[in-house]
Amino acid sequence: MSSALSSQPTKRNVKLDDIWPELEEGIYKIITDLYKGFPKNKWMALYTYVYDYCAASQSKTTTKVGMPKQQASGANYVGEELYNRLNLFLKKHMGTILKVTETKMDETLLNYYYTEWDRYTSAMKYINNIFQYMNRYWIKREIDDGKKEVYEIFILSLVIWRDYLFTPLKQRLTNSLLDIIENERNGYQINTHLVKGVINGYVSLGLNREKPKETILQVYKSGFEELFLQATETYYTNESSKFISENTVAEYMKKVETRLNEEVKRVQQYLHPNTESELIAKCEKVLIEKHVEVIWNEFQSLLEKDKISDLTRMYSLLSRIPRGLEPLRATLEKHVQTVGLQAVSSIATNGGPIEPKVYIETLLKVFKKYNDLVTGAFRSDTGFVASLDKACRRFINENAVTQAAKSSSKSPELLARFTDFLLKKSPNNPEESEMEQILNDVMIVFKYIEDKDVFQDFYSKMLAKRLIHGTSTSEDLEGTMIGKLKSTCGYEYTSKLQRMFTDMSLSRELLDRFNNHIEQVERQALGIDFSVLVLATGSWPLQPPSTNFSIPKELQGCEQLFQKFYQNQHSGRKLNWLHHLSKGELKTKYLQTSKSGYTLQCSTYQIGVLLQYNQYDSLTAEEIQESTQLIDSVLKVTLTSLTKSKVLIAEPPLDGVEELSKTTKFVLNKQFKNKKTKVFINVPVLTQVKEEIDSIHKTVEEDRKLQIQAAIVRIMKMRKQLAHSSLMSEVISQLQTRFNPKVNVIKKCIDILIEKEYLMRMENSKDMYSYIA
Amino acid sequence: MSSIVKLESSDEKVFEIEKDIACMSVTIKNMIEDIGESDTPIPLPNVTSTILEKVLDYCKHHHQHPSPQADDKKDEKRLDDIPPYDRDFCKVDQPTLFELILAANYLDIKPLLDVTCKTVANMIRGKTPEEIRKIFNIKNDFTPEEEEQIRKENEWCEDKGGN
Repeated sequence: MSSALSSQPTKRNVKLDDIWPELEEGIYKIITDLYKGFPKNKWMALYTYVYDYCAASQSKTTTKVGMPKQQASGANYVGEELYNRLNLFLKKHMGTILKVTETKMDETLLNYYYTEWDRYTSAMKYINNIFQYMNRYWIKREIDDGKKEVYEIFILSLVIWRDYLFTPLKQRLTNSLLDIIENERNGYQINTHLVKGVINGYVSLGLNREKPKETILQVYKSGFEELFLQATETYYTNESSKFISENTVAEYMKKVETRLNEEVKRVQQYLHPNTESELIAKCEKVLIEKHVEVIWNEFQSLLEKDKISDLTRMYSLLSRIPRGLEPLRATLEKHVQTVGLQAVSSIATNGGPIEPKVYIETLLKVFKKYNDLVTGAFRSDTGFVASLDKACRRFINENAVTQAAKSSSKSPELLARFTDFLLKKSPNNPEESEMEQILNDVMIVFKYIEDKDVFQDFYSKMLAKRLIHGTSTSEDLEGTMIGKLKSTCGYEYTSKLQRMFTDMSLSRELLDRFNNHIEQVERQALGIDFSVLVLATGSWPLQPPSTNFSIPKELQGCEQLFQKFYQNQHSGRKLNWLHHLSKGELKTKYLQTSKSGYTLQCSTYQIGVLLQYNQYDSLTAEEIQESTQLIDSVLKVTLTSLTKSKVLIAEPPLDGVEELSKTTKFVLNKQFKNKKTKVFINVPVLTQVKEEIDSIHKTVEEDRKLQIQAAIVRIMKMRKQLAHSSLMSEVISQLQTRFNPKVNVIKKCIDILIEKEYLMRMENSKDMYSYIA
Repeated sequence: MSSIVKLESSDEKVFEIEKDIACMSVTIKNMIEDIGESDTPIPLPNVTSTILEKVLDYCKHHHQHPSPQADDKKDEKRLDDIPPYDRDFCKVDQPTLFELILAANYLDIKPLLDVTCKTVANMIRGKTPEEIRKIFNIKNDFTPEEEEQIRKENEWCEDKGGN
């Protein structure tokens, strides 16, 4: 009995010549007529032929002793002859196809090529499966042994196609493709399916020698992409030069945008995705970079004409190329600054008083317009945001109005006044709902203000007044505003403001306790409505009174009781009475003209004067001064206000009198009449305000010197030794959030500190300071 | 539930089987992918009905009990990892075992090819050439000189494997 292992193959001792004719016929059918279908038994028969040939023959050739080493390592597989025949067959087939292409051109060539390619590759998938047994053994072994010219059947078919059909046809194919693509660029409909099919073929032919299952793009790149990119460059170079010379820049940009979109779509439709970045880069170079100067030059005019959509387009195009936006940033900065300055000039009043509301709204209008542009058209590009900031900072801090006022601190002052206008109770207050937005706008301007310390001074003065006179719109809003300042400038900036609020509520509680105390402990009535605010000196920007004042006896008891009560509660604290900030109401009972009488709202000084008329109907200035102790200037103002409101009548009249005569008589006007029952007796304010502003500017200068000195000491304490220039820059950077310290002031402060022996100049090295502990 | 395909053995017996099971044979799988499914039986001219029946039993079993081949790259050289069902499956006479190997190879069923070949390898392991010749009924057609040369060439593996 023969061995079972060899029994079956020997039964089918297959010779190549026996099976090849049938195999060849089958393969030919598959390659040419696959669409007609292929029967199963035929498929299986072909597979079996290949199997029988490879399997049967292998047992025939027994391993012989002493065979070359590399083959002695295992079984010996058969297949080479069959492989060669298939190879030859396929090459012949290529020859047939190539012959047909000679008569074809352009689209018909592409059509024919693509049809054949499609037919061939689907057929070869069949044939590959039919030859699977050979793939598994003989071919695998050859490849493992490192034979470069042996491939799996399907790969073999591609190699043959590439070398015997594609390579000779390549140039004609690519040219036809480029022609067709140019047609599409010129606006004609093309068969994208066909183009895609042919181009995919290029990709499939990029066989990877190392990893046969994967493709590399080498054939596609060298055979098509390179030429395609060249053609693209030429095409768009010509088109763009022509177009830009015949159309406006705005039109050109529209064209470029369209073209770029088309090219992206082109890649998606029929090119390899890899091509996109290079193609787009090429287009950007030709369409944008080459014409960038022309585009830049158009920017200014688009800004002037507010062409938002063109500006948007320009941004998106120029942002594609390196450094495309840089010159625009400077242009924008200059433009915004110019527009801002013009806007302010148009409202400037040549040194006359300017309405804070008008001023701030003018600034905001310019800011908002360009902020919309930057966040919209320029997509909040950081460079443009910076340009906008720089421009705003410049025109907000220095413009026609500040120049007229000869002070760069005019803007913070006006902003503080505008805020005061918003927060002070008035019939013109904006709606509560709009307030938040308006305060945010205030903060926008605030952000650009350089002299934040000036704003702080004005703001705290005005806040103090609102609180003392109870004229604040609402405490909530005051709190909101302080919160905003705090989040922009930090805790320190608002700590005094915050303490003012605390004092207000502490005072309310204190007054409650005082009233209880009066009722329960002293068991006596005050006889008047009394309220008091106790305010910490350090936190409030308040001046001590400029005059002596002897408080009328009607009020003395009350004041003393409170003083006593307060000293009991807080021994050691000193109370200073700020009578010049106080006020009260008096009721008239001496008038025949009104039965119910008038309520006069007056300052404490006015009260001091008027209360005297409870005893006398007529008094001289001297007499009044004696009892009130007011100094001349205050006395004059007080008496003038009372005569102006016709509560008192001066004899002789005060009109035009420079100096108040001590002998002038002041008579109580018993014929006093007024439409309202509540009469405000105005204190003339104009002179006061002027003084106040000057004093604020003066204190600001002094404060700054102190702050600069403090900063220098802080820095030197930490560094011990520092060069002049580094000290300068550190001081500036520390203080910048508050104000811009001037270099000469810093130098002066350094000298002061050297004099005070906080610092010394180092002897050996130039321009070095050392800290003296 | 997958569709049914028909397989026809060399002795013209037709077997009906689920497509998924039939496709454990890569050859059949490729063919179905190429031609598509239809009612006509797939002819398998190299497999007898006896063997085809056994092969299909094997496929059905492994289709229902997918072997937990967690690590695909199991050491192919290992001979002692044959699961119980497969061990029993291979307990057949020598001619049947060899026909199973051929069928597995023809139909391209890798797990079946592996397990049958391992079984044969186990039969050879640890035996002298003389014993092996006896088991497989092989005539010694080497001259003594040839035999000597082979021994020399293979000394390295004798030494290594020697106990």
